[in-house]
Amino acid sequence: MPIIEDKIIVADNLSISYDLHRERKKLIALQNISLEIKKGEFVVLVGPSGCGKTSFINAVSGLIPKSEGSVKVRGVEVTAPGPDRAMVFQDYALLPWRTVESNIRLPYELQNLGLSEEEKAVRVKKSLELVDLVGFEKSFPYELSGGMKQRVGIARALATNPDILLADEPFAAIDAMTREAMQAEMERIVMETGQTCVFITHSIDEAILLGDRVVVISYRPGKIKEIVDVDFPRPRMNNSEVKTSKKYAELRDHIWNLVKDEAMQTTRGE
Amino acid sequence: MAKATNEIQYETDDPNRIQDVGWTLKEVWRRTRGFIVTSVNLIIFFILWEIITTYGNINSLFLPKASAMFQELWVGMTTRAPEGAVFSGSILDHFLHSFKNLMTGLAIACAIGIPGGLLMGGNKYVESILSPYVWALASLPRIALVPLFILFLGFTTTMQVTIIVLSAVFPIIINAWAGVKTTEKSLLAAAKVFGANRVQLYYKVVLPYTLPFIISGIQQGIGRGLIGVVIAELFGGSNGLGYLIQRSADTFNTAMTFAVLLLLIVMSLSLINFTRWLEAKVAPWRNVNHL
Repeated sequence: MPIIEDKIIVADNLSISYDLHRERKKLIALQNISLEIKKGEFVVLVGPSGCGKTSFINAVSGLIPKSEGSVKVRGVEVTAPGPDRAMVFQDYALLPWRTVESNIRLPYELQNLGLSEEEKAVRVKKSLELVDLVGFEKSFPYELSGGMKQRVGIARALATNPDILLADEPFAAIDAMTREAMQAEMERIVMETGQTCVFITHSIDEAILLGDRVVVISYRPGKIKEIVDVDFPRPRMNNSEVKTSKKYAELRDHIWNLVKDEAMQTTRGE
Repeated sequence: MAKATNEIQYETDDPNRIQDVGWTLKEVWRRTRGFIVTSVNLIIFFILWEIITTYGNINSLFLPKASAMFQELWVGMTTRAPEGAVFSGSILDHFLHSFKNLMTGLAIACAIGIPGGLLMGGNKYVESILSPYVWALASLPRIALVPLFILFLGFTTTMQVTIIVLSAVFPIIINAWAGVKTTEKSLLAAAKVFGANRVQLYYKVVLPYTLPFIISGIQQGIGRGLIGVVIAELFGGSNGLGYLIQRSADTFNTAMTFAVLLLLIVMSLSLINFTRWLEAKVAPWRNVNHL
């Protein structure tokens, strides 16, 4: 892993809360999160449902406002979405009336990146190749399987060549077999593009296989419980030694122990 | 989420995976059976009608022969009243009058209802100001307004069109409104992440998402509008299909009454099927199972 010192995302004492108007109360989703993410790093957030992982990603993307503290991308406070940050959604969030190609083009239509038509076409083609969807340009999302839909989602995110890729449980709705293939694709793509990736998952295996660091977040309010370094060499996905190693089992056990109590709380409904 | 049945298989790796089966008899039947069954069904229905009215002891004042109805319909649709006639016995004349009113009414209802519903869905102030009036008028049986509009506008075409507009506009408003309100949050989030401003959010996401809702609204509007047509003409007017129903029944020409009813059914079904086709055309992704 190359050691690059510049920190691309810096969250400092970040708190996010939501107003529950009906109960005249405030729900604190995330509390005092301080996290520095280096350029090119793959950071995975794990934690029980409702712990505020999505809030963190949404704050970095600029979709939701911060309550306290700050999130900076390249030293600039995040106030709105920008072309340097792209997102992959759990439910794909593809526009159903647009073809695969047209969905991938959406970011170019919405913002002026100063690209010529030819450059756009080349980039769309490159994105399609990267996610292995050549030949499906004219298909509509409803004609595709879940795994293919998410490939479109990833291609759309890559279209603007963003520095930061935010992924909110992108493979949660995909079956187990396709999921493993998608994880391998994700690792390959991020290695190829050198992007910084913030990835949310419920799967500890996914976290260990993809992440350079795994950030374990506690349940309500979401706080950083521990940050676990994972230093298996890449690519890890098609390397059977990684999954069968003793270190893998230990890491898995360690993270599960961190998450276990929190997960139990959610089943009890607090 | 992704259902296996929804997956369309493409010629991916193995070219032998998709094989040409050609036209089998079974396939031809599979495609045409709906049409054939319906046709046979209707033919049997009208033949039974004819047999019962011919051999049964039934007063043709109450139930005319099916053939008499069809003859009345054929003659009525192929002849026009002479120039300057006070009253036309031609079904075609009355049909054209009603159809023109219906189309005018629907066009006005769309012109009011679509922007109205979109505004109500998009702006919470407009919504809270207009919604009590929309719900009040939408829940009021429109027929109750007819005497009032006859008082305001007299026995005129304007009155008839007004009744049609009032009948058709509310389902259009309510559907467009609901479409905007139910636009999937993740689609909006995606558009925002990829740089959409407020205007783009509307015409790239909200409008296309709402389009099939608007078409369902128009579809319901057609049904309500037709009720409006007949009611307005029954109550006040000297032309239109509603008036012709009244007139033919008053003059004991029951075959004519039945002919007009049949025409109304055909007209209504054609318009509704047109909007269904349109809906499937503009929003194949919605995968709505129609009755």
